[in-house]
Amino acid sequence: MKRARLTLLLGTEIPILAFLAFAILPWFWMMLSSIRPERDLTRSPIVLWPETLTLINFIELLQRTSFALNLRDSLIVAVGAVSLGLTLALPAAYAFSRFRFRGRQVLRTQFLVINMFPVVMIILPLFVLMRGLGLLDTYFALIGGHATFTLPFAIWLLTGYFEGIPVELDQAAMVDGATRLQALWLVVFPLAMPGVIAVGLYLFITSWNEYLFALMLAGRNVRTVTVALQLFIGEHQIQWGLLMAGGTLVSLPATVLFLFAQRRLVGGLTGGAVKG
Amino acid sequence: MKRRTLLTGLAAALAATPLTRLYAQQKATVRWWYHFDDPKATPDELVAAFEKANPGIKIQAENIPWGGGGDYDTRLYTSLIAGNGPDTAMVKFNNLARLMEMNALLPLDPWIDTWAGKADISDDLWRLHTAPDGKRYYMPLQYVILYLYVRLDLLAKQNLKAPANFDEFLSVAKAMTGGQQWGFGMRGGSGGHDSWMPFAFGTGAKPVKGGFVSSAALAQNRYFIDLYRTHKVCPPSAPTDAFLQVINNLKAGRVAMAVHHISTANDMAATFGDAITAVPVPRGPGGTGFATYGDGSNCVFSASKNPEAAWKWISWLSEGPNNVIYNKAAGQMTVTKSGAANWTLHPKRFVDATVNSLPIAGVLPNLSQTADFTRVVWPQTTQKALLGQIEPDEMMKTFEKLFFG
Amino acid sequence: MRRAVTPWVFLAPALVATAVLVLLPVLNTLWLSLHQVILFRPRSRPFVGLENYAKALTDPVFWEALNHSLVWVVCAVALQFSFGFMAALLLNRTFAWRGIARALIVVPWALPSVIIGLIWTWMLDFNLGVLNHIGVRLGLLSASVPWLAQTGTAMASVILAVMWQGIPFFAVTLLAGLQAIPVELYEVASIDGAGVWSKFRHITLPGLATVIATALLLRMIWVANSLDLILVMTGGGPGTATQTLPLYAFLTAWSGGNYGQGSALAVMLTILLLGVVITYVWRSRER
Repeated sequence: MKRARLTLLLGTEIPILAFLAFAILPWFWMMLSSIRPERDLTRSPIVLWPETLTLINFIELLQRTSFALNLRDSLIVAVGAVSLGLTLALPAAYAFSRFRFRGRQVLRTQFLVINMFPVVMIILPLFVLMRGLGLLDTYFALIGGHATFTLPFAIWLLTGYFEGIPVELDQAAMVDGATRLQALWLVVFPLAMPGVIAVGLYLFITSWNEYLFALMLAGRNVRTVTVALQLFIGEHQIQWGLLMAGGTLVSLPATVLFLFAQRRLVGGLTGGAVKG
Repeated sequence: MKRRTLLTGLAAALAATPLTRLYAQQKATVRWWYHFDDPKATPDELVAAFEKANPGIKIQAENIPWGGGGDYDTRLYTSLIAGNGPDTAMVKFNNLARLMEMNALLPLDPWIDTWAGKADISDDLWRLHTAPDGKRYYMPLQYVILYLYVRLDLLAKQNLKAPANFDEFLSVAKAMTGGQQWGFGMRGGSGGHDSWMPFAFGTGAKPVKGGFVSSAALAQNRYFIDLYRTHKVCPPSAPTDAFLQVINNLKAGRVAMAVHHISTANDMAATFGDAITAVPVPRGPGGTGFATYGDGSNCVFSASKNPEAAWKWISWLSEGPNNVIYNKAAGQMTVTKSGAANWTLHPKRFVDATVNSLPIAGVLPNLSQTADFTRVVWPQTTQKALLGQIEPDEMMKTFEKLFFG
Repeated sequence: MRRAVTPWVFLAPALVATAVLVLLPVLNTLWLSLHQVILFRPRSRPFVGLENYAKALTDPVFWEALNHSLVWVVCAVALQFSFGFMAALLLNRTFAWRGIARALIVVPWALPSVIIGLIWTWMLDFNLGVLNHIGVRLGLLSASVPWLAQTGTAMASVILAVMWQGIPFFAVTLLAGLQAIPVELYEVASIDGAGVWSKFRHITLPGLATVIATALLLRMIWVANSLDLILVMTGGGPGTATQTLPLYAFLTAWSGGNYGQGSALAVMLTILLLGVVITYVWRSRER
């Protein structure tokens, strides 16, 4: 084997395989148990590889429960949360990274502070508030809730990424006649794309996996997958097969999304910009 | 408080516009919250039949995640406090004291006394469903009673029969322990209080003031803890084993006996056939015993705009044939005598074990601390005792203090 | 005039949303913590000043929970960061199947806590858990271990699960940060004869400094506040061995019904986190 190929294999590919093994094997075990007969799961000593496979869990999940609709609800909420979250966070991060104004540090910290409160403790007043605004059990309650509560993290992360982009680039654009907003949209945003993608993924996943708001502020007309999964855990029964099938499906959207989005995570975008 | 009243007032004002009032008079809508263990089961059939028989009422049935009880309760309390609660909901004895303190419940006595189906529910059940103040707020809907699963085939290998009292239980458990098998699948994790009470109160002690620290209760609790610590007839994971672990261990043949109830009977029968049976929990000398009664009831909330309609719905659900259909979906026992007579949902031996336990059925005290006891205090304290961090007697003193000061 | 107004215009939407949906409820809860609030006794709400806080300070369970929170946060974040950073560096390199590798690393992050908790509890199960099974078969364990039923191993088990969940966050966040470091810097350094470690110390680390600090801070706050995973896996047990401060606050308020006390506990956690944040902001000011 050529030396370069060997170095790549040993220095990069094998370590990555190790990481992926750690990341994927628990998921794989879950997926395996979703396609094997439930009797397999209570055999002692345990049987690693199934003798028979069955799709009954997925069929029941999609046909006899509302799971497909729940996936749709989750998708709507998550996409909405990402859109709203980025819309609110991008200008705010731009302000924090480009301007030096009074109260900047305090405001930035304050953003973080109020989010340091455990959400379970503010769900009661939040519920009353949403009820008063007539937003209970609507998509907007969840989209608004998710976007707002991930805002501080998104703003801090984006500010960090923005600070890596030289201010000279903005100024060059403004000299050419661009407004601040245009500078943000045409110069900073494209260069910060890797950061935007990372924050977008963070927003998507946080919204997708969120349970408390979905349980309390919605539930009937809007029911996300996290709530649906919880319905499989009953008082006297646990629908293990459905849970495993549901868990397998639930992990797919974010993974597939990132498969496409990660193409934009390419280095060196800022490299030649300042010189040129 | 002020802000809440303002917001509630605002919401009420919006709701009282002429349009909504007009619509409300056409049909009474009853919001009913429930939770089924099987997400594939729905009450749609029952709702349709009821609406057909009662054209002026519309039922909005909402399936709320149980989440170990915590999620259901969190949602219930939040909604009631915010003035957005349902008209009726499935509730448990756990919640009774707190709901009463919140004045959230309507007493059902005037309706019950004129209800045709009253005689179809046994006096035992009515007794259990009467609140400490003598009134009835809870409408019986379903129930289970905890019994003991026994792997007859494993016992037969050593010529043993299902244990009837605590001495026999210990010797059977010891005989069944060895290698990768243990005699008793103890449940020290969440929900385990239900299977602990038959032990603690099995020789005559009662869960009333002074009862937790009576000599009988202390001795029996020591017996229970010793099963794990001294005799080691339970798997080492027992302190945190919850429903899933106990049932899986039973199904996998890792334990020979476990306490549960009829909702798993069909699963057990499918796994073992006649090799598994259920018997009432072990008794003490003189025939004393305590079989935990697992309740499930409906109630009517005092804030409901349609209490009459709500009552019609929940009483309909508790009538003979309807209750049978309901419990088919819920997987539990019907509360009606007529329904129980020809019960085919579970194999007979499990039904017998359940019904034969009714005379010794018991519940925890109905106090506002009960919900905290079942959810947090019992598991945390018992686990500490099982791990030897506190003495068993300490455990009972903690419970006595929690309930009765 | 326009210069002074512009940042505020940019910040306004975020500020308004946060003020309404976050600040108001937090202030409400703060207010409640100064009263005796029992969830099921809505009519009686006497003002008790700092009594709830005083009670917490003399409560041994509070100190125990705080201790557990410290262990939980420090171990979880350190482990997540270390492995996440390694993964980011590896995924930044060029190899044929890089796209798939990057997508797959995200899987643990893409699962809801309830599923993660259930899977790990099951894999670690004493009787039927695959990890015990494989561990014994490979000779790593002499016998099956009841991971979640022992005080010593329970905390390690929940930390393992949350580490698994959190590695992708650092992997992705730091990977994005690595993209902003100009490739030319590495090329020039190579020409100058710099080795791998030297490049890492003098190019990678400085280039990532802000993102690393931010990601660590944010993740620390998230982990400190999280209770989902522990709730599903152990409920705080065995006994109170894995009961962290937010879990204690949650159970006090919603199970015990003592909403005022629970709120006070949550506020105390926030104040502690605030201390850490202020320290960070202060130090980054000096730069």
